Amino acid sequence: MTRLARPGRLVTLPRVALLVTLALAVAVPYVLRSYYVSILALAFIAGLLAASVNMLAGQMHLVSIGHAGIAASAAYAVGWASHHGYGHATQLALALVVTLAVSAVYGVTSMRTSGIFFLMVTLALGMVVFGLTYRLSRVTGGENGLPGIWRPPVVAEMWQFYYLCLAVLVLAVLALRVVERSPFGLVLRGIRDSESRMSSLGYSVAANKFVAMIMSGVVAGTAGVLSVWHAEFVSPASADFLRSALAVIMVIVGGVGTWLGPLIGAGLVTGAEHLLSTHVERWPTVLGLVFIAVVLFAPNGIVGAARDLAGRLRRSRARRGHPETDTSAGTPPAATEDSVTSSAPNR
Amino acid sequence: MGQSITRQARWVAVSAAAGLVLLAACAPPSDDDDGSVAESGTVKVGFLSPVTGPVAAAGIEMREGWELYWQEHGETVGEITVETIFEDDAGNPDTALTKAKRLIEEEQVDVIVGPLLANTALAVADYVTRAGIPSLQPVTAADDLTQRKHHPLLLRAGSYTGSQMNFPGGQWAYEQGHRRAITLCPDYAFGWESCAGFVRAFTAAGGEIVDQLWFPLGTQDFSPYVTEMRGTDADIAFVTSAGGADGPTFVRTYHDFGLTDQLPLLTNCCAMDQATLRDVGELAEGIHSVSYWAEGRDSPAVQGFVQAYKQAYGKLPSLNVAGGYLTAEVLARALETAGGEATAEELIDAASSIRFEESLYGPLRYDEYNNPVGPVYIRVVERNSDGEYWNVPVETYEDVSQFWTFDPEEYLQQPPYDREHTGQ
Amino acid sequence: MDFEVLLVHSLNGLSYGALLFLVASGFTLIFGLLRIVNLAHGAFYLLGAYLGLATVAATGNFLFGVLVAAFVVSGLGLSLERSLLKRVRGKELPEVLLTIGIAFVIADLCLAIFGGDPQSMVTPSALSGAVGLGSLTYPRYRLGLVLVAVLIAVALYLLQRHTKIGAIVRAGVDDREMAAAMGINIDRVFTGMFAFGAALAGFAGVIGAGLLPVRPGVDIEILLFALVVVIIGGLGSVKGAAVGSVLIGLIDAYSKVWVPEFSYFTVFAPMALVLVFRPVGLFGRTA
Repeated sequence: MTRLARPGRLVTLPRVALLVTLALAVAVPYVLRSYYVSILALAFIAGLLAASVNMLAGQMHLVSIGHAGIAASAAYAVGWASHHGYGHATQLALALVVTLAVSAVYGVTSMRTSGIFFLMVTLALGMVVFGLTYRLSRVTGGENGLPGIWRPPVVAEMWQFYYLCLAVLVLAVLALRVVERSPFGLVLRGIRDSESRMSSLGYSVAANKFVAMIMSGVVAGTAGVLSVWHAEFVSPASADFLRSALAVIMVIVGGVGTWLGPLIGAGLVTGAEHLLSTHVERWPTVLGLVFIAVVLFAPNGIVGAARDLAGRLRRSRARRGHPETDTSAGTPPAATEDSVTSSAPNR
Repeated sequence: MGQSITRQARWVAVSAAAGLVLLAACAPPSDDDDGSVAESGTVKVGFLSPVTGPVAAAGIEMREGWELYWQEHGETVGEITVETIFEDDAGNPDTALTKAKRLIEEEQVDVIVGPLLANTALAVADYVTRAGIPSLQPVTAADDLTQRKHHPLLLRAGSYTGSQMNFPGGQWAYEQGHRRAITLCPDYAFGWESCAGFVRAFTAAGGEIVDQLWFPLGTQDFSPYVTEMRGTDADIAFVTSAGGADGPTFVRTYHDFGLTDQLPLLTNCCAMDQATLRDVGELAEGIHSVSYWAEGRDSPAVQGFVQAYKQAYGKLPSLNVAGGYLTAEVLARALETAGGEATAEELIDAASSIRFEESLYGPLRYDEYNNPVGPVYIRVVERNSDGEYWNVPVETYEDVSQFWTFDPEEYLQQPPYDREHTGQ
Repeated sequence: MDFEVLLVHSLNGLSYGALLFLVASGFTLIFGLLRIVNLAHGAFYLLGAYLGLATVAATGNFLFGVLVAAFVVSGLGLSLERSLLKRVRGKELPEVLLTIGIAFVIADLCLAIFGGDPQSMVTPSALSGAVGLGSLTYPRYRLGLVLVAVLIAVALYLLQRHTKIGAIVRAGVDDREMAAAMGINIDRVFTGMFAFGAALAGFAGVIGAGLLPVRPGVDIEILLFALVVVIIGGLGSVKGAAVGSVLIGLIDAYSKVWVPEFSYFTVFAPMALVLVFRPVGLFGRTA
């Protein structure tokens, strides 16, 4: 039997590497200037949205290209409440209510669809939200948006806000991992593999999809709240189709179904959008070429490619060093690295 | 399996929380800020405009106007050197904000110029003014920047407000004998404000608004609206666009449906700007529009500028170019007056006390909300001696303020213009 | 509302729908056979439009402009399919990312080469001006556009039903493994179809430039409309694309006049309804 990732392992990267990364992330405000700190915070927020998309895409092969609509709804809830003089706690409460409501609408409309149709439903919903941000201009400020939405005083400084984003991101990723490893996660993956089998086993496919959408929506809504606090401003651009599409791109570029993939994708795309664009006028071309390169050379995303590489290195080392521990014969390379499925003992 | 996950998760969460508490106590070093605008004799200008994305053409033109001024006059004002750092905001408010942050925190710019689009400008204004950095707006027409959201560190240097530039249009329409108008404007703030300007003046003079059509952002096909206009009993149509493709599309459709000879048309600045004329100039010949900028105006300042731009870029300058150029001129004059040791407030004060005898727009000054007061022209599209189409003034309204003939305080009591508050 | 005005509004909707059909048909054909959601379709349209404009400006010949645009875009589609898309055939998400990447590159390069100013096509004199319709006049170009769309629709129908290549394509859509097992070089059919779809997009771009000026952003706008049409009509169905585009064109025209308050939603609401009640679209087939 090949060396599968040990069931129960929280992480697939060596623990040390992870801690080092976290330590680096924590050290950032002491090392980098405020502008870069704010870009990183943006990357974390993008990563949060990407993680919410990844939850549905990885666990259920449901790619939502309208999640920015959920995030934007939460952002506008905060903005509206702020403009009407409500305190931060109320703003958050309203954001939660709105997020749940919008996610529920997404869920109800999409729970009986899958594949390309799910993509289209979420696209339509995202565009409806976008249209509403223009239409309900009394509430949303129309095209001009709502400025002057101040952060809570405890995170007023960018470096404090950065830590908030980092903390929220880490907690969200952990929470999503817990969901993934839970029995509910098993059900979701079961639905991904065969809806008919699951429904014949007595599971309500639609209800489970609905719940998954709510969970994913809550993460997206959190991203929305953080984004409006980052910019201290919200406008229809937050619900733009491009935002949703970029979230999907981040997931694909990083690696669908992996927890790290969306974060890497978010870092890459955010970096290109904000840092590369300063130095390269044709940055959309460069970004497009990067996408093409990723598809050609890393079709499982960057994380997938890294894993394949690690697997190949490990096998070649085993072959060279200890012929008797060579377990690679007949093993498809991807199986050893598939953290998503390897945890399920009943596969 | 589940237990070890929860244990590990808890471990991570606790250590993270502990770490954060420790860190909250120690703040990282903050970026320093100096008081005067020009340290060591250089003024750094952060120039924000969209050079990619849907409004790239306008953003690039704004830059060209700015650069043209410094090319003509050299990049110094007396002892002070002016250094410009350009950033692309892609027409997106979040990007604009990030770039503004970069310019202010990384590049330590002393002045911000731009951005172009109203929503990006509003997004950035809060941040820039809170950072204590003065900003000059070359093209943005959002009313509120110099009304309900005006700020001593913000000056609208190169353009008029959306309503301001259209008030005279309503007045003129009435004076021409029109009594019933139909309007077509984009269904967002710029459109609301532009239409409101025309409507207020037209109705105040005694005219009647027969119908108001609003087209959504992203409208590709104007035929439904033109068809409606064809069926109306109005005697003049007032049409607004924010520039870009709406102008040419509308003109073409208006022409295709045979309305050019049937229903007199008055448009705003941007529907008849050079972007439209370069594309459908032939069809637009003879159409009237109202704007503060007229590239066909027979004045040495304007024609010198038009020739210089044409030599450099091979085309006639649009309103975006003029705005960029004039803003550069405003900065230069303000630096001359205030000097390199000026603070942010002093710089804007100096700028707002400028009085142009003959700027690109004519005699110009700034009101106490830091908005220009000056002439507005009724222009007509004509063919010039080089075979190009441009806007030539046929009537001038002097000294137009953003409040028209109304009292500023009363004016500001009213809610901002939108679909319900249309100026009637 | 009197009959003549209603007729004009209907023609407006039909002519806009005609353009949408030209775009959507290529998109739906590509999906039907290759199962690719070609998110670069809007960029193909954009490129075709610019190429057509440049050719017409240089040669003065509209027909030549159309041919050049269709040919070049088709060639681009062909080479992209063979060099890039083939490598990830069958993998949905990489295909999505690939077509997005291609779209980014094409759109940005178009901005760099052709600039950001809106550019309209000078329509040939045979199609300019207006035609009398009772007491009203109607632009000739729009009527011409409807005619072209009808011709293309008929041609596509005939191709599908009455030619060998059409039979091969239908076989490939139904069961590609079987078709391959029957000795059909399914690879080449796929490539050919992608190139044909791209040609249609490029063709639509030139024709569309006579109606709507070309500028950055048109690619995304037209792509979204194509998606809506194809979802309503059914992915893979040309008949569906025809019905869907007529529907959307008419809804767009009427709603702008009668319910302008809903103009942001009128296009996406029918799509959402179809997705909820009949996800495969009006004429789609459950794969």
